[in-house]
Amino acid sequence: MPLRSPLNLALRALSERPLRLPRAGLRPPGPDDPPLFRFDPAERRRVIEEVVRRVEAEVGTDRAALELALNDAARHEIRRLLEQKDEETAQRLGQWKRLARRLGRMSEQELREALHEVTYAMAEDVAGYFDPRVYELARHLAPRLIAAVMEPGSLPRGLADAQAALDALLEVEGEVRSLQALHRRGTLVFVPTHSSNLDSIVLGQALERCGLPPVVYGAGKNLFTNPLLSFFMHNLGAYRVDRRIRARLYKDVLKTYAAVMVERGYHSLFFPGGTRSRSGMIERRLKLGLLGACVQAQARRVVEGDGGRVWFVPTTINYALVLEAESLAEDWLARAGESRFILPHDEFSRLERWVAFFRRLVGLRSACVIRFGQPLDAYGNPVDAEGRSLAPDGHPVEPTDYVRFRGRAMLSPRRDRAYTRALGARLAEAYRRETVLMATNLVAHVLFRRLVAETPGLDLFARIRLRGEVAMAREELLAEVGELRDRLAGLERDGEVHLGPALRDAEPADIVDRALRVWNGYHRRVAAHDLGGSVRAEDPMLLAYYQNRLLPWAERVAPPTLREVARQLAAMEEEHP
Amino acid sequence: MTEPPLRIAVLGGGPFGRALAAAAARRGAEVLLWSRRAQQPPEPSVRLGGELSGVTGADLLLLAVPSPYVEALAEGLAPLLVGRHLLVHVSRGLLGERLRTIGDLLVRRTAARRVGALAGPLSAEALSAGAPAAAVLGTAFPEVEEAVRLALGGGPLRIETTSDRCGVEVASALVGLMALAVGYAQRSGLSPATLSALLSRALQEARRLGEALGAQPQTFEGLAGVGDLLAAALGDGRPEVRIGRALAEGRPLREAARSAGGHVEGVRLASRVAAFARRRGLQAPLTEALAQAVEGRQSGWQALIAALQA
Repeated sequence: MPLRSPLNLALRALSERPLRLPRAGLRPPGPDDPPLFRFDPAERRRVIEEVVRRVEAEVGTDRAALELALNDAARHEIRRLLEQKDEETAQRLGQWKRLARRLGRMSEQELREALHEVTYAMAEDVAGYFDPRVYELARHLAPRLIAAVMEPGSLPRGLADAQAALDALLEVEGEVRSLQALHRRGTLVFVPTHSSNLDSIVLGQALERCGLPPVVYGAGKNLFTNPLLSFFMHNLGAYRVDRRIRARLYKDVLKTYAAVMVERGYHSLFFPGGTRSRSGMIERRLKLGLLGACVQAQARRVVEGDGGRVWFVPTTINYALVLEAESLAEDWLARAGESRFILPHDEFSRLERWVAFFRRLVGLRSACVIRFGQPLDAYGNPVDAEGRSLAPDGHPVEPTDYVRFRGRAMLSPRRDRAYTRALGARLAEAYRRETVLMATNLVAHVLFRRLVAETPGLDLFARIRLRGEVAMAREELLAEVGELRDRLAGLERDGEVHLGPALRDAEPADIVDRALRVWNGYHRRVAAHDLGGSVRAEDPMLLAYYQNRLLPWAERVAPPTLREVARQLAAMEEEHP
Repeated sequence: MTEPPLRIAVLGGGPFGRALAAAAARRGAEVLLWSRRAQQPPEPSVRLGGELSGVTGADLLLLAVPSPYVEALAEGLAPLLVGRHLLVHVSRGLLGERLRTIGDLLVRRTAARRVGALAGPLSAEALSAGAPAAAVLGTAFPEVEEAVRLALGGGPLRIETTSDRCGVEVASALVGLMALAVGYAQRSGLSPATLSALLSRALQEARRLGEALGAQPQTFEGLAGVGDLLAAALGDGRPEVRIGRALAEGRPLREAARSAGGHVEGVRLASRVAAFARRRGLQAPLTEALAQAVEGRQSGWQALIAALQA
């Protein structure tokens, strides 16, 4: 379909502008309904006004500060709109240019008014919306849609069947019981790892399955390009994050919105990694902006609010097969230091890839494992199922103490920044512990490790070019895969990592076959070729990507002869993140 | 409206702990001195306590025990500490093979999160006597800064602050190690020029190692790094320097350590820091030479001196 056809334009307009159902007939939320059910237009308005009030107070301290903030916003917006050259440019470029020209001559009062207008427009654009009817619709529709995509020939016979199909694909593990008790006692902030744009969708499914409430989260603009997805995103509490906007004011609005929602008790979600992992490695250095806003939100609730608790849930999302692996891995290698934050036209935006992906997963149990780690309070203390924060020796501690000094509870941005940094470090540790390794990670590691062993002195980029040059005899591959699995199982017993359900007791031959089947049934590039008596490493880039998840343990699981090779691999976490 | 006096607990009855307790009491704080050995209060108003549980009432805890005892102390404090406790330690040690800082240990083993490290060319004598002195406090938390200023600052003690707690801890430990070299070099009869070259190299090496441990390089230019090393070189009489001299005289380590009296962190660190440098592929010739000297071998040191004098 040509991009500018009337239908396409109409579809795009539908995506951009939120489609909302009339609210007449909606019953008021009951006491057992999740917090999001009370996010009605009036509440939305209150949140927007609070966000605007706070940003104005923080930014508009004096005339110089006002001018600086507006100048920064104008500059960034003008540059962005000039690059985009689309309908938004036509609509908005003129206004920004006019503002930029007038700034120097405006009085303080005029600047305040301009700040108010700009902030209000941004907050209005960002703020989400929630319609319980759409939520109910999504709960019923999602499994059916996914099942339909997976097996287009057969109409799903009923919700139960569709749900069963989805259930087989997705495994949910970890502190589910605890979370089921905690979500009524405090505000949960889910902070998962990020490898794919499917993450928010599978996570939504996981929450649903566990009887956990819907969450508020910042959905990137790419999730709004598809009209169907966009409709659901707009009505399920997601707030819209346009990552092309670099204006400082916009980032302040985003952080403040997230904080205000957490303060008001709405369960939330965001990805502290910021963007999908290009290398496939587990996130180590987290972005602290939104995390800090939530840590401050906890302090505010103690000092000024209801004293409610905010609990962070480290979560790992683990895939046997990653939808966008090829684009992500290419970007990882192309980079040499710079990240393209947005990958246009990757697999997520191609329907054909979705279909191929889900078809590949038919019959593949536990293709995706979501694992919820133990919740932490804002100060890094683990929280038990009763909602008590626990000191390292296990005795309960009062979290409100952390915002007290000499008896007085107080707000302190510097203190909370320090708490946030410490919390970020704890989350990164939790991600490692709660990682669930899959067949594809193991098989890729053995093959890539062999490749590295046979190419001493080469760097990563040289090795990536060696397509089809290194092979392993099948018996050796099976032996090493078996040994690797056994060593990882040992680490699992010590609580240091987890193995996917399909891995723990499987025969090495099955592990290898599973990996090859999964890769070669979906990816355009051939990761590895089964030649019968041997297996050949075809695409080192894909292999490197899949085995990058194992790097934190590479040295400890290597046989003695491969220790040095494993050390080189482990160094990749630092050298090529 | 007057605030109630700051409640402080000093843990450790050695000279430094006593000096801290005395200084804080003179500034008007309510001070409890916890120690495992019986003693007289350093100032009349200082309360003495033998029960660790007695420290929980404090707002600020100052830990002044030698590093070998810190882990045991942390275990003892674990059931007692809660979120409002502020901890500041003055130790010069680094723990284990991975050279973990004491602040990190405290944060991991207890519920306390607001932790700081006090370091610099501050001696127990100067603190006790109320003589002019300077120290640096490394902490990310404004309340820890405020509490330490209330407790110890405003008088003859000048307190600088930095948010790089890790840097202060690492610099303080590595300079303690380098002070061994100072004593050794002085006894080896090096000229001022050569000694300065040595000090300069020592600082660079400490900074290099420190960065690998997570410190910010500029912390080494401050009181915890350069300031402290200069104090050692200018003759503040610290035990590391005396031990260094004794080693240069060919005396065995045990005898040297005994004559210096008390706990000497630098000696314990030498071998571990050298091993760390080797594992990470970092250039650390001075540390390597010190580790050898501490182990009774002089060859590395001789080579170093020769290189400096060439």
